[in-house]
Amino acid sequence: MLPEDLIGVSVQGLKRNISRSLLTTLGIIIGVGSVVLMVSIGASFQQYILDQVSQFGQNTFEIQAKGLEQQGQPTQAITFGDVEAVRKLSTVQSVAPVIFVTERVAYGEEELTPFVFATTKELFDNWGFQPQLGRLFTDADIQSASNVAVLGGLAVDELFPNEDPIGKRITIGARKFTVVGVLEELGSPLAQTLDSSVYMPLSVGKSMMGSSLYVDYISLKSRGSNDLTKADLESLFRQRHSIVNPENDPEKDDVVVRSMEQAVSVISSVTLGMTIFLGLIAGISLLVGGIGIMNIMLVSVSERTKEIGLRKAVGAKKQDILLQFLLEAITLTVIGGLIGVLCGAGLAYLLYLIARQFLQDLPFALSMSAILLSVSMAAGTGLAFGIYPARKAANLSPMEALRWE
Amino acid sequence: MSSKGSSLIEAKKLCKSYFNEGLETPVLFDIDLTINSGEFVAIMGPSGSGKSTLMHILGFLDHFTSGSYLFHDEPVLRMNDDDLAKIRATRVSFVFQAFNLLPRTSVLENVLLPLLYHPTIAASERMDRAMKAIATVGLTDRAKYLSNQLSGGQKQRVAIARALVTEPEVIFADEPTGNLDSVSGRQVMEAVQQLHEHGHTIILVTHERTTAEHAERIIHIRDGRIQEDTKSFKRRLAKEASTLAK
Ligand SMILES: Nc1ncnc2c1ncn2[C@@H]1O[C@H](COP(=O)(O)OP(=O)(O)O)[C@@H](O)[C@H]1O
Ligand SMILES: [Mg+2]
Repeated sequence: MLPEDLIGVSVQGLKRNISRSLLTTLGIIIGVGSVVLMVSIGASFQQYILDQVSQFGQNTFEIQAKGLEQQGQPTQAITFGDVEAVRKLSTVQSVAPVIFVTERVAYGEEELTPFVFATTKELFDNWGFQPQLGRLFTDADIQSASNVAVLGGLAVDELFPNEDPIGKRITIGARKFTVVGVLEELGSPLAQTLDSSVYMPLSVGKSMMGSSLYVDYISLKSRGSNDLTKADLESLFRQRHSIVNPENDPEKDDVVVRSMEQAVSVISSVTLGMTIFLGLIAGISLLVGGIGIMNIMLVSVSERTKEIGLRKAVGAKKQDILLQFLLEAITLTVIGGLIGVLCGAGLAYLLYLIARQFLQDLPFALSMSAILLSVSMAAGTGLAFGIYPARKAANLSPMEALRWE
Repeated sequence: MSSKGSSLIEAKKLCKSYFNEGLETPVLFDIDLTINSGEFVAIMGPSGSGKSTLMHILGFLDHFTSGSYLFHDEPVLRMNDDDLAKIRATRVSFVFQAFNLLPRTSVLENVLLPLLYHPTIAASERMDRAMKAIATVGLTDRAKYLSNQLSGGQKQRVAIARALVTEPEVIFADEPTGNLDSVSGRQVMEAVQQLHEHGHTIILVTHERTTAEHAERIIHIRDGRIQEDTKSFKRRLAKEASTLAK
């Protein structure tokens, strides 16, 4: 049989069984499309969250007293002596101790209960804050314990909806502060708390909290390997707090030392879990699509078996039959797979455009492995159930096939 | 085409049983039969006597259970799948009682079908041959019709056009007029008669005497055995007339 005849015969076969062809294609489109769509949604959010987290800098560390970490209660585990010891470590730079000042913030009629960070200028550097208006703290502000405040980009909108905040006097607790600067928003949903916060010099916060000897939180950057820094910090705190913990059991420590890198891997494993979950849901529709394909193919077996019998009766070789059915099945699965990928990706892109109205930095991600996996599963089903009955029928004598019920 | 009179089909002790789920149904018993090139043979017999079964075996459409079948002195049992396909494509063709046209397909495409599988007829010749075959059965104005838009007689004529389009040596026709009214039946038999006159070997199953009278030879089958194998009455008359004339 000539190749062009083979193509003609296959095209004819698809046209003559047009509803079977369309339904099969539809099954593949739905299966492939939903996998591509779902996994794209998952992958986009995963990428987004990773981008957001890594904005903070992969070499940033935080140290927190365990009580605060676990019960939301300020504790007194980290002393200023600890902070100085941390600062002296060779694997550490840009150390910013923080005391949380639990006071209200007010300007005129407006009143807020934000996080109030009493800290040093290094904190802004560690978190990547830039001033949007005015200036950040200086060492002089800290040394002279001046009553100055820097507002987060979201906090300023609430306190000063229509006014220039620079130079204005706000009240924090019982004291008056001069606003000297406003921070550029970090913008990410993960940083919303930081954008809504108010910042004052560490020395001022210390005296407001009754000349506290303790800090609640330390932010710092590692110098060199994160692993070494983490090990250094942990052994420093164990030594200073007299904790014997050679087996590195986190339960025994009274502070938590955590790098952003670690946070990223925790978060990315969570979002990966989400992607897999979405993929599984989509896998179900792939399965349903596959069962659909199977049914349609099997329903038409008896008519097609008769067709095979007739073709053999007028002289078709077994190979002519097999090639025809192979070509038909390939055409259906390739067309279905292509449309499925396009529909899934198109729909994902549409959702992405909508979601970007709310999350500006959302990336658009497609998963190549999801595309390949879903297309090959759908194609496999289509090919198997298109060819297997044809193979069986082609092995019958023409009459056995023609008699098929 | 081989010369008239040489042995085309030679069956010896041919037996056929159907097997369904282990159940054996013996249908043909020890069929001995020789048919020469150019003959017009009618097979008659009651329903269920095994006529179709025999035709399918002789027409290369089904297996037989035992015995031997020589086609042009070649043992069919020694042929492989592709050899058999080639014979079906080039040397024999079959007209089924149930038409067996491709559904939702035009008359023209149905008649073109065997040409797609023919190893030697060039693609450029196909259209001419198909239209000629369609003209032979008088359906030129119906060439673009779909098979399901035709009457029974027209469908059977399409099946005949499909059978003769490759100009095979032998045409098997299994009750080609069985489903037809007498007018369509007569048209179909005229087409078959013409084929015979053009030198094709015709093997025809029928249970109508008048149809069988077209043939030179009538084989009677009953319960899977050949009961009687005779020159037809008309034929005998013609022969006797010619002997008398000498
Ligand atoms: N596929 C089959 N399986 C089992 N028995 C069959 C099959 N086809 C035909 N038969 C039986 O073989 C016998 C002969 O059938 P058939 O050749 O069609 O007879 P005819 O054409 O003379 O009417 C019948 O008894 C029929 O029931
Ligand atoms: Mg019959």
